[in-house]
Amino acid sequence: MLFILAWRNIWRNKKRSLIVIAAITAGLSCGLFASAVMYGMYDSLINTTIDRELGHIQIHSPKFEDEKIITDTIPDFQSVVSNIKNISEVSGISSRVIIEAMCSSPTSSRGVKITGIIPDEEKKVTSIHNQIIEGNYFESNIPSQIVIGKKLADNLDVKLKSKIVLSFQDFDGNIVYAAFRVSGIFKTESSIYDQSVVFINQRELFELLNQSAFSHEIVLRLKSFQQVDSVFAKLSKSYPLLSVKDWKLLSPEIKIYYDILDIQLYFFMGIILFALLFGITNTMLMSVIERIREIGILIALGMKRSRIFVMIILETIALSLVGGIAGLIFGAIIIAIVSSTGINLSAFTEGLSQFSISTVLYPVLPLTFYPILTLMIILSAIIAAIYPAIKAIKLKPATAIRTY
Amino acid sequence: MKLIELYSVTKIYDETIVPVKAVDNVDLQIDKGEFTAIVGPSGSGKTTLLNLISGLDQPTSGKIVVDGTDISTYNEDELINFRLHHIGFVFQAYNLIPVFTAKENVEFIMLLQNISKSEREKRAIDFLDAVGLKDRINNFPTELSGGQQQRVAVARALASTPSFVLADEPTANLDSVSAESLLDLMEKLNKEHNMTFIFSTHDEKVIRRAHRVIQLRDGKIEKDVLMN
Ligand SMILES: Nc1ncnc2c1ncn2[C@@H]1O[C@H](COP(=O)(O)OP(=O)(O)O)[C@@H](O)[C@H]1O
Ligand SMILES: [Mg+2]
Repeated sequence: MLFILAWRNIWRNKKRSLIVIAAITAGLSCGLFASAVMYGMYDSLINTTIDRELGHIQIHSPKFEDEKIITDTIPDFQSVVSNIKNISEVSGISSRVIIEAMCSSPTSSRGVKITGIIPDEEKKVTSIHNQIIEGNYFESNIPSQIVIGKKLADNLDVKLKSKIVLSFQDFDGNIVYAAFRVSGIFKTESSIYDQSVVFINQRELFELLNQSAFSHEIVLRLKSFQQVDSVFAKLSKSYPLLSVKDWKLLSPEIKIYYDILDIQLYFFMGIILFALLFGITNTMLMSVIERIREIGILIALGMKRSRIFVMIILETIALSLVGGIAGLIFGAIIIAIVSSTGINLSAFTEGLSQFSISTVLYPVLPLTFYPILTLMIILSAIIAAIYPAIKAIKLKPATAIRTY
Repeated sequence: MKLIELYSVTKIYDETIVPVKAVDNVDLQIDKGEFTAIVGPSGSGKTTLLNLISGLDQPTSGKIVVDGTDISTYNEDELINFRLHHIGFVFQAYNLIPVFTAKENVEFIMLLQNISKSEREKRAIDFLDAVGLKDRINNFPTELSGGQQQRVAVARALASTPSFVLADEPTANLDSVSAESLLDLMEKLNKEHNMTFIFSTHDEKVIRRAHRVIQLRDGKIEKDVLMN
């Protein structure tokens, strides 16, 4: 009955209640949308980084991690690869050869990271093949193909089909020179990546180095992002002698983001709720003052002050939750509508590409956000209600009843 | 049987610039089953006296014993509990919770007494029937006339099974026909259920209906007459 009382009481002064409810709805839905945009940016940062280079999980020889020397290969990598292929969650696995090299054109040279790949396997793990802007991604059988980034092509002043020379140390420390022809140019969201990574067919590297197949890096992609933690745990256990890392470990700066983003967003929503709190308090105070006589009668009849207190708190919660839930629903709808088209950020692409954020932003919010926000709304309502509730229980019934 | 006993009760309002002696050294006894009117001109202390008897206010000095217990020593929380279980209230007007229907208004007092839902519902309907509002139980106060609202208040007062019912100028806002019929109802409940009614009024027609008339002037009992 106390709930019915609270519920009906908030609709007594419809206009006043609706103003507060509208304020809460507007504040929350805007806050929610802003949070979703921030979350979407972060999501895009993770996803583009994972899609471009990291994959979900990587395996290295522990020594390779520190020194990046050509001889620090993964022991018996073929059995590792074939074992991992049997894990049902794995959707793609790519074994890579990574060599630091010098890349020279007739006019200029730059330090690069050669990534020796098996193109068909790499395609299942990363998305560079979708980001080719000129030429193609190892589609023909011509030997000595190299796929480079747009930025590197500009730096070296080379075009499609230009010849460039890679020089790097072999297993014995001798310098190897090899000529390649640019067969594809890619452009990702990250200009740093575009100027420093080149792809060649790893088979040609093995021939150049006169070695049988070897691997520095095994990259895997899982069917779903949610499986990372469990597969990561499994692999860490299976290969204690290898360095197994998930994307969070591979990219610590993203992980820090990941850790503080939630807190940041809750803090942000907390500030919005704090601002709304004053409006709620004011409304409830007016409502208590209008009902002095009525509350006096309740106390006269024998309603305990603790119950009066609860009644005012319940009313405030009801009022806030109506606005709050409307705000959450409204916010969720805006997010859903906007994320179905995405926000086109191409006007700012130059600046954003430094941060590896893609040009179309899809606002998203994890579902856990909603229940936690609901709790935050209730908490704010309780805080907002305290002052009006204290006013109500301080009423002296004999005097309150004489008030008309 | 003594229901209410007042011994040298004085109430002084001293928050005002000039302290007001609203009830001045009153000795009074009321028995179970009485149908008594407290009368007197406006400002004579009727409301203050009723508030002291009901524990809505505390005396400056003197002793008030209700149902054998001395309530002049009770603290605020004890008084709330005392009122809930011993006293049925009917105020001058706007007695009811506007967002509750007649039935809910009557039920609410029993909710405060922690009476079970089924019992509450049954009793609410019975008492609304007893005050002649069986067909208005689901109406909100604004949908009822002033007289009907006061009847709901009477039903609410009875539903809490009090020792007595206190009504401060219950007819003041009613037309004379409604006032008469409210008094008919109160008198009938007094007779049939031996329910004690103490009501204040300054309306001659209402005074004539009382079985005992206690007349106040300047906080003192000027006259105390038994009628027949
Ligand atoms: N809360 C109060 N503070 C100061 N004076 C009061 C208060 N309540 C009543 N009084 C004074 O006490 C006297 C008695 O008032 P009241 O009991 O309301 O009389 P009645 O009900 O007969 O009109 C009046 O003079 C009134 O002004
Ligand atoms: Mg009065």
